[in-house]
Formats: sequence, structure tokens, C-alpha cells
Amino acid sequence: MKIFQALAKIDRKIIFAILAVVIIVPLIKPLGIISRASNRAEAVFNAVDAIPPGKSLMISIDFDPGSQAELYPMLNAILRHAFAKDVKVILLGLWLTGMGLGEEALSITSQEYNKVYGEDYVFLGWRSGVLPVILGMGEDIKRTFPTDYYGQSLNDLPMMNDIRNYRDIPFFITLSAGDPGMNTWIAYAQSRYGLKMGAGTTAVSAADAYPFLQTGQLTGLLGGMKGASEYEFLVREKGYSQALTPASQAMDSQSLAHLLILILIVLGNIGFFFIRKTTAFKGEK
Amino acid sequence: MQRQIPLMLCLVFGVFMIIQFFIPHPISTTAYEIVLRWVRIIAIFALVLGVGSLTMHHSNKIKRKVKGWQFSIITLIAAVITALVGLLGMNVVDGRLIFFAGIGRTSLLQTFFQNFYIPVNSTMFAMLAFYMASAAYRAFRARTKEATLLLIAAFFVMLGMVPIGSAISPRLPEFAEWILSVPNLAAKRGIMFGIALGAIATSLKIILGIERGWLGGGK
Amino acid sequence: MHIFLMCLLLTGQFSPPENVRAFDTPNDAGRSITLNWNPCADPDIAGYQVFRSQQGENPVCINTLLPVERQFIDESAMDGMFYTYQIVAFKVVGEDTVLVGSEMSNLVTSKPQWFNTKRINVLIGIVIFFTLILYYISHAKRGKKLFIRRIAGLDAVEEAVGRATEMGKPILYVPGLSSVSDIATIAALNILGEVAKKTAQYETTLLVPNRDPIVYTVAREIVKEAYTSVGRPDVYKADNIFFITDSQFAYAAAVDGIMVREKPATNFFLGMFWAESLILAETGATTGAIQIAGTDSIYQLPFFITACDYTLIGEELYAASAYLSREPLLLGSLVGQDYGKLVIVVTVIIASILLLLSAKFPILNILRFFNVG
Repeated sequence: MKIFQALAKIDRKIIFAILAVVIIVPLIKPLGIISRASNRAEAVFNAVDAIPPGKSLMISIDFDPGSQAELYPMLNAILRHAFAKDVKVILLGLWLTGMGLGEEALSITSQEYNKVYGEDYVFLGWRSGVLPVILGMGEDIKRTFPTDYYGQSLNDLPMMNDIRNYRDIPFFITLSAGDPGMNTWIAYAQSRYGLKMGAGTTAVSAADAYPFLQTGQLTGLLGGMKGASEYEFLVREKGYSQALTPASQAMDSQSLAHLLILILIVLGNIGFFFIRKTTAFKGEK
Repeated sequence: MQRQIPLMLCLVFGVFMIIQFFIPHPISTTAYEIVLRWVRIIAIFALVLGVGSLTMHHSNKIKRKVKGWQFSIITLIAAVITALVGLLGMNVVDGRLIFFAGIGRTSLLQTFFQNFYIPVNSTMFAMLAFYMASAAYRAFRARTKEATLLLIAAFFVMLGMVPIGSAISPRLPEFAEWILSVPNLAAKRGIMFGIALGAIATSLKIILGIERGWLGGGK
Repeated sequence: MHIFLMCLLLTGQFSPPENVRAFDTPNDAGRSITLNWNPCADPDIAGYQVFRSQQGENPVCINTLLPVERQFIDESAMDGMFYTYQIVAFKVVGEDTVLVGSEMSNLVTSKPQWFNTKRINVLIGIVIFFTLILYYISHAKRGKKLFIRRIAGLDAVEEAVGRATEMGKPILYVPGLSSVSDIATIAALNILGEVAKKTAQYETTLLVPNRDPIVYTVAREIVKEAYTSVGRPDVYKADNIFFITDSQFAYAAAVDGIMVREKPATNFFLGMFWAESLILAETGATTGAIQIAGTDSIYQLPFFITACDYTLIGEELYAASAYLSREPLLLGSLVGQDYGKLVIVVTVIIASILLLLSAKFPILNILRFFNVG
């Protein structure tokens, strides 16, 4: 009886400790479970792949370091894919605290592919006010962002000569950890201006995207670390990059953590089931 | 008067935004852009209020020496230093501190960001994994038929969402995906309809001045 | 002129783009003309050039397009000017570039529109819904009794405040993490007013940490007003309503800290929440507080339902101010909202049936007029 009671009431500190071990061990010694790409990740990949060389992909960093583990690997993989295909990149963000990550990702990946700032990529940075920024870019990007992240006028950047508003952006990706993010872009840029877009979200808010996938408002979805690892897999498989794949490596930990939670749920239920049975039996007597 | 002016502004701009949505003419879009520009300007001023509140709150704590007042000192010092480092564009180049050199890769702000902000924020987010494990363990009990159904669905979704699921059976991720995008989404859409209508009704009540709670309540 | 000569000389090379149609881009602010054309049959063409002739003058190349394009929107057109267009396909043969032009398009001019016909479905929806709400508000004004079902989470507010008073501990009220433009935040602020009235009466400490500076300002005014309205302005402490930070997880950490240090007897988490919802609710659960949550973020609802005692689901949050204040005008709008929902359910069912039948009877496909189906 005592053991069942213990199973039904495991102290949360014990759960935390076991979970920590289960997460850390595969990071040190990877199990090598390969992540295959889902249809939704492939849809994002194909949309980026279909952008003609010379045209621009726009990416919005709608996350901060809090969700870096899931969304930052997506940003790097997408940038590598775009640069390898000679697609130009416009990077901006709705979260001020994510700008440092954007700067870091651009400087690393642009060096790998010898891309030139202003010709192959532009970092618009962040502007205050969410709706005015999204809606303003639908009318005129240069009016919304007169200068880039570094304070340089957009008129001085050759890449921006042919780009006026969303009509000149064949595909857009929001890497979203909450609000403002995916929902805001869909409500204002997609619905209002017909911007073709995909999204990368944290795993916890991935379900948020399903209605928009079904209505076709979202072309594809990268959900959490799994989505990031799927994109990394595709970029590597197609030979666009041989760089490190941090999300794919971390998937082992996530697999084991899910297994642990499942085991805990089963144990909890065994305890609960037997306690209930014994109590009912005593009650009958 | 103090109440009537905001209510009037709310009515005028609320009705304007509804009408503007249907008019693509430049007169309407220009007026809309002007409103958006104002929103942006006002949002910046609100930040000043926030900083003011933060300073007052923590200064009071320090003055009154309430429990944990030492942390308030750290908060205020951190806020001031971060603001100065950003505003003065402090950069460290070849071991020398230079000013007004922007906020690029070599800036102190970027260093702070990468070495303080990123690790601390990631730690908070990482706590979610632990809380999810303990909450799932506590909540997923087969107490009733509905709870059992929820439990089984959760079991398949959790397995299907990680590579180990597809290693067990390639059909598992498909089944998990089906659970999420069919029965789960059907229920969510029902709730979403309610939420959307509720949001429209609340907006209408605010525009018409029936709902005044946001103004501090009262008649 | 040069292009026309080319056309004459080279038409034998490959067939030109055909059927170039130019029209004023619909539902826009003017200064835009849309061109459509049937592409060249030749798969090897290198692209298209768009030529524009203004008021009968010589055509000028205004853009070069990829061979996959079938449409071009000319956003450099001036309103009131008359234009004709020509699409010229080009192909590289050896070292030469071969050009083949289409016939000139129809004469076209651009002008801004006063009504976006694509949004007629939204207009109809808004008119029906507004009418229903206004009807039931006037219905309530006339003093008709309206039935509102019980909402357990809101009934528990009184009990929760009472409990805090008995224990001599504060109440923590988190008005979500979003801005004041979010309906959930406004709903949370409306409930804050009602909760503040009760805490003022019981002289219980009410802590309101904020993430948004504007929400903070509004929350402070609401609490102050509530304390004054029940005749207890002396109990109001401005320092208890404060701004923390606009960083999501720093805010969550600060609120967690308040919960662990102050051990509030009751925690309210009402408004818009994201990934921090479980961090807040689980920490609150460990401190043994009664927790009342409410959000319209359906993806955070499962977390709140798991870790809190009461959860207001979606629209229950919006209904809260009407429920707590029992003001007839607010209650009337709730009933109107329910009828609006009924209209949507009936419309969805009818539309689904029509859509299914339209596969067999195309005449039934009336939904195309509303940009659906």
C-alpha cells in the first residue's frame, strides 16, 4: 500500500532531479536519433527554396533569449539556406530584446557565405509600436524604417532599391515566441496585404498555428526544437550547409524527457488506481 | 469632463477605425497613417511612466528598508548602467573603452546582452520543462472517463512529437498530428468563435462607452 | 518603335505573350494598374519586359520579370493618366537576345476606390452582430430580466478575498502580460476594479505588478477609483500597483519572487499570458494560494486548468465585468453576443451544406460572392 501511495505522490524535487539527469546526459553523450522532416517543415523549406535568386526573404525575430533554444537554431538554418541559394534577406523584429540575437546570427552566417551587407542582406532592427510597424511596411518599408539597425539610411542600401512594400517580398517567416508575433503578422500583414508567410514557433504555442495552416494563411510551420531540427536536417541533406546542428543534437534530450514524463504519468496512475481500489474495497467492507 | 473627453476620443477613433477598414481611398489611408504615427509616439512616452514607476517603487523599498531592499539597489544600478552603456554607445576596442560607437558586435551593450540577459532569460524559460513534468504528473490521472480519454490522447501526442515516436512507428507522428489537428482543433475553434465574438462585443461596448472599467470604473 | 520592329522581324522565332489585359487594380488607394497575360508557350524564354506607353507616347520599359510571372502590378502609374502596356518576352539565342512583343493592351487609367468590395462579408457580419448587441442592450435598458449562467470562477472572487482577509495576507493580481490594446487586458482591468472594491472594504492588501507601462497607469487609476468609490481612499497605497519590466521572463521571475516572499492568500492571473503561464501558476500552487485564472489564449488554458483552482475560459473573462457588476447594459450585450454566436453556428452549418452540395449543383455555390468556398 505504501509503495502505491509513494507512486501517487512523488515529491516534485525528485521529479526535477531525474528530469535534469535525463536532459543533461544525452547532451554530453548523444544517442543519435535522427529527426526526419515533417510535411509542414518541408513546406517552409520549399517556399524558401522557391524564392528566385535575387529576390528577398523577410524574417521577423519575434522572440527573445528566453526561447533562444528553440527559435535561434531555426533562424540560423533559414539564413544559411537563403544565403546558399543567393536569396537576399531582410531581417527585422518585433521584440527589442531579440535584436542582439539577430545581429549575432547575421554576422555568423553572412561570413560563412561571403555575403555583403546592403547588397545581400539588410538588418532593419526594431521600431516602437507593433501595428504601426506591420501596417506601415504594407504601405512603404522605407517610410516605416527610414534607417536600418545601424542607423544607415535605407536609401543608401542598394538591395532596398527594388523593394517598396510586402508586394516585393515573395516569402516571409516569423519566428514567434508569443505576442507580438505570428498571430499579429497573420491578422495584419497576411490578411490585409496577402503576404505569403510561414512561421517558426515555440513547441508550446505550435498548436496555435494549426487553424492558420488549414486555412492556408500559413504556408508551413516549424514547431519548437523539433521544427528547428527538421529544418537543419533539410538544409544539411540538400547540401546547403555543413554547419553544426544544435537543435538536432538537443532532440535526444527532448525525446528522453518526453519518455520520462510518460513513465511518471503511468506510475502516478498505477498508484492512483490501486489506492482507489483499496479505498473502495475498504468502503464495501 | 475628465471622463467625457477620453470617452469621446474613444468613440471618434473607434468609429473612424471601423469605417477606415472599408475605405481604401488615399484620404482614408493617409488619416490612418497619421493615427498610427501618433500611437507610436504615445507608446514611447508610456515607457517614461514605466521607468518612473520602477524607480519610485524601488527607491521607496530602499528608503523603508523593507525585506530584501538590497535587491532593489541591484535593480536600480543595473537599470542605470544598462541605459548609460546603450545611450553612450560604449564599445571596447583593443582593450580600450570608447564612446558613441553604436550598438554593434563590439559594444558593451551586446556583451551585457549575451553574458547576462541571454543566460538569465534562458534559465527562466528552461524552468518550464520542470514545471511541465510536475504539473503533467499531478494532473493526468484517470479519475473519470473524460480524464482517461485525455490521458490516452496526451500519451500519443507526447510520443508522436519526438523522434523516438517515429522510431517506434512511423504512423505515430501522423496519429499525433491527427489528434492535434482534428478533435483538438474542433474544440478550440468553438472556443475561438466565442472569444472572437466576445472581443467584438467588448470593443463595441468600449466604443459606445457602455464599458468604462478601463477608465477607472464608475458612471 | 524599336520593339514593334522587333516584333515584325522576329515573330517567327516563338509565339508572343497573348491576351494582355490591363485594368485598374481593384479595392486600392489608386496609383496602381494590374496586368495579366497568357505566357509564351516556349519554355526557354529568359523573362519578360514590361513596356508602358503614356498618353500615346513611345513605350518605355518599366520592369523586367522572371519567366514564371503571369501578372504585374504597376505601382508607378499616376491617377487619371491613360496608359497602354506591352509585354515583351526575351530569349537568349547564341550571343543574341531575341525579343518578341505582345500586342498593345487596352487603354487603362487608375483611380482610388471608396469601398473595398472584398470586405463586404465583414461588413455584413459586423452589421448583424452590432444590431443584435444593440437590440439586447436596449432590451435590458427597458428593465427586462436576463438570464446569465453561473460562472464558478467569478463566484469564488468573494470567497478568495475573504480568505485573504482572514489570513491577514495580501492578494496578488496579475493583469496579464499584454498591452492595453488587447481585449483580454481590458477585461482583466475591468475585473480589477471589482476586486479592488472588495479589498478596499475588507482592508486587504492588493498587489498589482505590471509588465506594460500603459497598463500600469490604467491599473493604478482603476484601483484608486475603486477605493474612492467605496469610501476608503485612506486604505489605498499607490506603491502596491507598480511596473516591473517589459521583459517576459524577467517579469515572471519577479512575480514568482513576490509569491514566494509575500505568500499571498489568493492569486489572480487574468488577461493575456504566454509561456510564463505555467511558471506563474505552478509557483503559486506550491505556496498554497487559492488561484483564479482567466485568459483568452486557448493555448495557455490547459496550464491554468491544471495548476489553478478556478479558470475563466475565453469569453467568460470578457463576461466577468458584467457578471460581477450586474449592470443591465453590460448583461444585455452578453445576451446579444450569445445570439450572435447562434447566427454564426447556423451560418456555418448552412454554408457547409451548400459547399458540399455545390460539388454536384454548381448553382448553389453562392459563397463565392463572399470570398469563401
